[in-house]
Amino acid sequence: MHEYLDEEIPEEHKQELKEHLQICADCKQHFNELVKTVALVQSTSHIQTPENFTEKVMMHLPREKKKVGIKR
Amino acid sequence: MEDIVKKRIKEVRKGDHNAFGEIVELYKSKVYQLCYRMLGNSHEAEDIAQEAFIRAYVNIDRYNIDRKFSTWLYRIATNLCIDRIRKKKPDYYLDAEIAGTEGMNMYSQIAAEGMLPEDEVTSMELQALIQREILNLPEKYRSVIVLKYIEELSLNEISEILDMPLGTVKTRIHRGREALRKQLRHI
Repeated sequence: MHEYLDEEIPEEHKQELKEHLQICADCKQHFNELVKTVALVQSTSHIQTPENFTEKVMMHLPREKKKVGIKR
Repeated sequence: MEDIVKKRIKEVRKGDHNAFGEIVELYKSKVYQLCYRMLGNSHEAEDIAQEAFIRAYVNIDRYNIDRKFSTWLYRIATNLCIDRIRKKKPDYYLDAEIAGTEGMNMYSQIAAEGMLPEDEVTSMELQALIQREILNLPEKYRSVIVLKYIEELSLNEISEILDMPLGTVKTRIHRGREALRKQLRHI
């Protein structure tokens, strides 16, 4: 199942998994729950970056970069 | 995008301070998102995301221009987040009551009602619940899950960012996924 979810499953394993899921209710449920979990995690919406983020970073950059480098 | 970034990095190295602003613009949303999902708090996320860019700037000469810049940048950001998490919660990551106290009321309310009334659960609440469960993951699982599913990176890239063998990355993703499944399957 995890091979499948990692998108690294060889064709023969995929077939095996498919066949097994058709006959094993427990595994099928487990598999569906994993797929749902992944979808839920992926669905978390994009978060807005705080305003003026870039300006704040630029303000905090050390002015004399070269000197900072030498001191270390 | 990588080409533009590399051009800007060369300018930064020559002392062009402003070229770095463009780099920040390009990556701020990815880096902030990563920090937010790892830390679960907008104030801390902003703080750490800024720190990541500042460190990238200070250490820009150490970046190997033949490699992907985002991998290097995410590595700085992820390490800062992990440090922050370790300082914040020494040994009780798994305690469900610690992470996301804002989520507590909502979560306990839902639990009390037994079942989720589907149309009453707004997308916002669901988002908060998922975020809370991500935060409840121990840090070693949380970082791989965030990199894989929120940042949509490949397993190989994650292994490079975390400086960890591919096999370890996979094991952690598997365990993280199972832990989340246990918490999210009834939604």
